[in-house]
Amino acid sequence: MIGKKIHKFLIVSFGYALIVLSPNVFSETILIKNATIYDGNKNEPYEGNILIDGPVIKRVSSSDMQGDFIINASGKIVTPGLIATDTNIGIVEIGALSVTRDDSSEIYKIGFSIFDAFNPNSTLIPWNRSNGITSALTIPQNTSSPIGGLGSYFVLDGELSITGEKDMVMTGSVGGSSNHSRSETFAVIDDLLSFAKSINQKDLDTDADISELIDESPIAEFMELHPRDVRALFKLVNNDLPLVMKAHRASDLLKLVEMKKKYNLNMIIMGAQEAHLVKDIIAKNDIPLIINPINNIPGSFDELASNIKMASILEKEGIKLMFTAPRSHNFHLIRQGAGVAVAHGMSYEIAIKGLTSTPAKVFGLENRGEIKSGNYADIIIWDADPLEPSSMPEYVFINGENMNLTTRSTRLRDRYTSDPDKPNTYRD
Amino acid sequence: MTKLFKLSIFFSLAFTGLINFLNAEPFESTYTPLPSQNILIKNANIYDGEGNELLKTDLLIKDRKIAAIGNDLPVTDDFEVIDASGKWVTPGIIDIHSHMGVYPAPGVRTSSDGNEATSPVTADVWAEHSIWVQDPQYTLALSGGVTAFHILPGSANLIGGRGVTVKNLQRNTINSMKFPDAPHSLKMACGENPKRVYGNRQQAPSTRMGNIAGYRKAWIEAEAYLNRLNEYESKSDEAKEMGYKPTRDLELDTLAGVLRGEILVHNHCYRADEMASMIDVAKEFGYKITAFHHGVEAYKIADLLAENNICGALWADWWGFKHEAYDMVQANIAIVDQARNGTGCAIVHSDDAIGIQHLNQEASKALSAGLRAGFDITKARAMNWITSNPAKAAGIYDQTGSLKVGKNADVVIWSKNPFSVYALAETVFIDGALAYNRATNFFPSSDFDVGIISPTKNRTEQ
Repeated sequence: MIGKKIHKFLIVSFGYALIVLSPNVFSETILIKNATIYDGNKNEPYEGNILIDGPVIKRVSSSDMQGDFIINASGKIVTPGLIATDTNIGIVEIGALSVTRDDSSEIYKIGFSIFDAFNPNSTLIPWNRSNGITSALTIPQNTSSPIGGLGSYFVLDGELSITGEKDMVMTGSVGGSSNHSRSETFAVIDDLLSFAKSINQKDLDTDADISELIDESPIAEFMELHPRDVRALFKLVNNDLPLVMKAHRASDLLKLVEMKKKYNLNMIIMGAQEAHLVKDIIAKNDIPLIINPINNIPGSFDELASNIKMASILEKEGIKLMFTAPRSHNFHLIRQGAGVAVAHGMSYEIAIKGLTSTPAKVFGLENRGEIKSGNYADIIIWDADPLEPSSMPEYVFINGENMNLTTRSTRLRDRYTSDPDKPNTYRD
Repeated sequence: MTKLFKLSIFFSLAFTGLINFLNAEPFESTYTPLPSQNILIKNANIYDGEGNELLKTDLLIKDRKIAAIGNDLPVTDDFEVIDASGKWVTPGIIDIHSHMGVYPAPGVRTSSDGNEATSPVTADVWAEHSIWVQDPQYTLALSGGVTAFHILPGSANLIGGRGVTVKNLQRNTINSMKFPDAPHSLKMACGENPKRVYGNRQQAPSTRMGNIAGYRKAWIEAEAYLNRLNEYESKSDEAKEMGYKPTRDLELDTLAGVLRGEILVHNHCYRADEMASMIDVAKEFGYKITAFHHGVEAYKIADLLAENNICGALWADWWGFKHEAYDMVQANIAIVDQARNGTGCAIVHSDDAIGIQHLNQEASKALSAGLRAGFDITKARAMNWITSNPAKAAGIYDQTGSLKVGKNADVVIWSKNPFSVYALAETVFIDGALAYNRATNFFPSSDFDVGIISPTKNRTEQ
């Protein structure tokens, strides 16, 4: 086992979990040699060496370096660890089994946080990690409010002491609904944001103060908001909290652009299946998108323009693109989606950035998403092209630690491909 | 003539049809191919769907059939010659598990017609009577090289009804898309879905044991029905005239068709223990299971599947969306393929309108997982998982599914090796006729696609 365990201290302050990495006293360095590096920053790959010292990247260089452990990555592609932006990792173990789901709330509509539900022992963590995902945004199901539900960022080291950032993104959605007009949805969003703007910090001192605010606001009262909801709303409009809005139809996307401008929101749009119809406006307003480039299905009347070339069309406008994968549990399939995007004209390097540095920048994930000196050593050495779904990581480093790539799935595989003479339950 | 005698003549005439009613199928295929021409595809790298890789080889399409594979094939001036240097050629891709048409796009209540979830046994319903021929998804599947697919009812019911195999040539009636001479299938479903759907209504089945009892009761009725039919058919014409005429029963027609070996059983089943129980049910009533679908745990009983000549129609990597899909192993398909010295039958299926467009990539994932598990499997063999094996399971292997001389010229030309994510289907031929050409934007559009976003354009031109 190469690499050292890092020591972590969890400091909780004002609802955010901050992580402090201790100085690496007994340092054992790891040198990844002769790699083909897509560092998440430069547009072209380069041949180089990466020195990992404790949890961080000490140096990236084409010149020779010394390390305690050396991995020859000659001919191998090395990328930053992939960051999945749309997951329920750690809060849903089995989709159709509600007792294993922690992604919804009956009480809280806007300030619902999934952070405390996160299970570092979930089987989804080793599985996605062994496929190249080193950290993820975990987000709740949409609540009954069109804006609502807080997502958190988690580093997928599987440690019970969680490394991540609590409640660092607000989610929401708008679109066709079987029971009300989307016009109502936009009015609710507008009312909620306008209510949020009217709040002063000093009004948030006590729950009693907040309850008074709720009583005075027709929308807050009608929606039966809780003080937690109001605090979250306040953060959204005052703290530049990223707001990930799920929407597809071109007209809805334009309406969201208006909302962004009116309330000066840090908005990201997810899905956005018709974004190419309003690409210039999305580009002009610098709204990053989380798209599923493999989805060309007109799955609803909001997504009629779905197009397999969408990623390449949007990329040409300079729009920041990140990826989501369509199926539960396999969030690493954002690689396949990115590969399909490249097959249909997207640039390879921009696709790699969409899996690494773009989400790090858009969501303010400090010192992640790029291979550069001083960043956390979240690094993948691939056995072949990472955008080929047939490829797998040979090494996964998270915070400089060389992760074991065994999963429950590989254990079951080995159980049924070895020792055939033993009854299966007596195998390893 | 007495009145009674007249009546009996009337009935005996009516019966002439009835006697053969399991053979004389209504709703017959009226498929006609597109105009075709004779084609020479030159210098192609070929996976033939029979486990062979042929580099720099020519393929001759004549009179809608595969006419020859080899080098320096003689052609006359009327042949179109396609230079496929550096490209790859495969049989048309076949998906053994699709709900296109019965769950079309957009996914809305008004055309969601895949599950007749009103009774646990609905062997009387036929998927083809739900299919919306204007589903805009067929043409997307065609862009992924899919030339035929098998459409099944959903899995809410123990016995969900008949499935149908169609050519991927979108037309205005379902009969004109039906694959000629393809047998019907019967969709059966194990496990969580039926017991959830009916258990929630406080009716049987609400447990897995209730599921098994439900199948067995249905087959007992089918046996009795078939016995009545056989008994009647074995009678002399005179005795038939005078005898009792079994009343036709749509549900039992279908089940009797299975017992007679005319309808192929496609069984949705995830867990290994349940698949083993279903094999016992099949043996008890003397029918054959053609394929288990989804089979996330197929690797646990791969030998049993191979011994019983049952295919596993599987995903490369789906898991976790329900409890019975929890034990996913990426080498599942490879393990099923390699069982009993490589006599297993593995199929990569989609069950998904996105997945069906990328079955080559799904096969690639399954292959690479097999190689990592230590199996020695060639790409040429893995190609069988999405061509000849699904053709066999759909009962159309005599007509398509591999590039054998004499078979239908269902052929795909790929830009690169189809096991790469960057490979795109460039041209697709169905029965020797060009159905899709990426370079010239030649592809079918459903009526749904016409003028729906912008009146002057089609949906796919946005």
